[in-house]
Amino acid sequence: MNRFEDELRNALQRERPPEGFAARVLARAAAEPKPAGAWDRLKDWFRMPVVARAALAGALCLLVVAGVQYQQRQRLERIRGEAAKQQLLLALRVTGSNLRAVHDKVRELSASYSDAQ
Amino acid sequence: MRLLVSLFVLTACAAQAQLLKIPPALDKLADKAEEVTDVTLDPATLGLASKFLSDNDADEKTAKKVVSGLKGIFIRSYRFTNEGEYSDADVEPLRAQLRNPGWNCIVNVRSKKNKENTQVCFYSENGKSAGMAIVSAEPKELTIVSIAGPIDPEHLGALEGQFGIPKVSPDAKQTKQDKKDD
Repeated sequence: MNRFEDELRNALQRERPPEGFAARVLARAAAEPKPAGAWDRLKDWFRMPVVARAALAGALCLLVVAGVQYQQRQRLERIRGEAAKQQLLLALRVTGSNLRAVHDKVRELSASYSDAQ
Repeated sequence: MRLLVSLFVLTACAAQAQLLKIPPALDKLADKAEEVTDVTLDPATLGLASKFLSDNDADEKTAKKVVSGLKGIFIRSYRFTNEGEYSDADVEPLRAQLRNPGWNCIVNVRSKKNKENTQVCFYSENGKSAGMAIVSAEPKELTIVSIAGPIDPEHLGALEGQFGIPKVSPDAKQTKQDKKDD
């Protein structure tokens, strides 16, 4: 048991670090790459190959154009729909008024017929 | 070949949307008329118009009911300055179509004194309502209404009291008789 205790004591004893240890650790920490900031990311963008940049820009343009075209189409459909609605309401007005006129004529005739009798 | 078939189908659909064929003589009346109302609504336009009808407006709500299931609406109305700008011969080819099988003219009002001749006819196929036509000829006004598709008479009744058309009062006849007695 004593021998074991001695060995344990020796193993846990404080030891001085070798010379230059702290300097080596600090140098290694300084050498590790830092996380990229916004400015670094922007600089990276300009380092991308031209083709990749052009493709990305082109895709963005297409999206904008598609969005504008979709809005225009919706607007045109709304205009056409409103115009069609007004035509429909006009058609129903004309139909209704003609039916009403026929109805009046039939009532007039039947009234004059029953008067004659 | 596919293009030809598509064109044929489209033409057939358009033809079905218009029950009556307008005689060429009536087309020429537009030049003489002081006022022309020309409305042609094919199935696509009717569908588009229906999408924009609102349930919050009484007229539009009625229109939605009337229009559901219709295949086409065609209206020509000519208003003339003077009498005699058109003749019975101009309208006869149209009236002849209303004598074809399938047509049943339930109203035929003719007045020699007022020079008026009005017909209201319904078209049916296989015993089902498939259209309606009104031909109203007055001295200074000629109106043709052709509606293709199933017509519900109840919906037609709903046209009265809407679209600025006053509802027929059941008391009107009573009032007229009372006035006569006075």
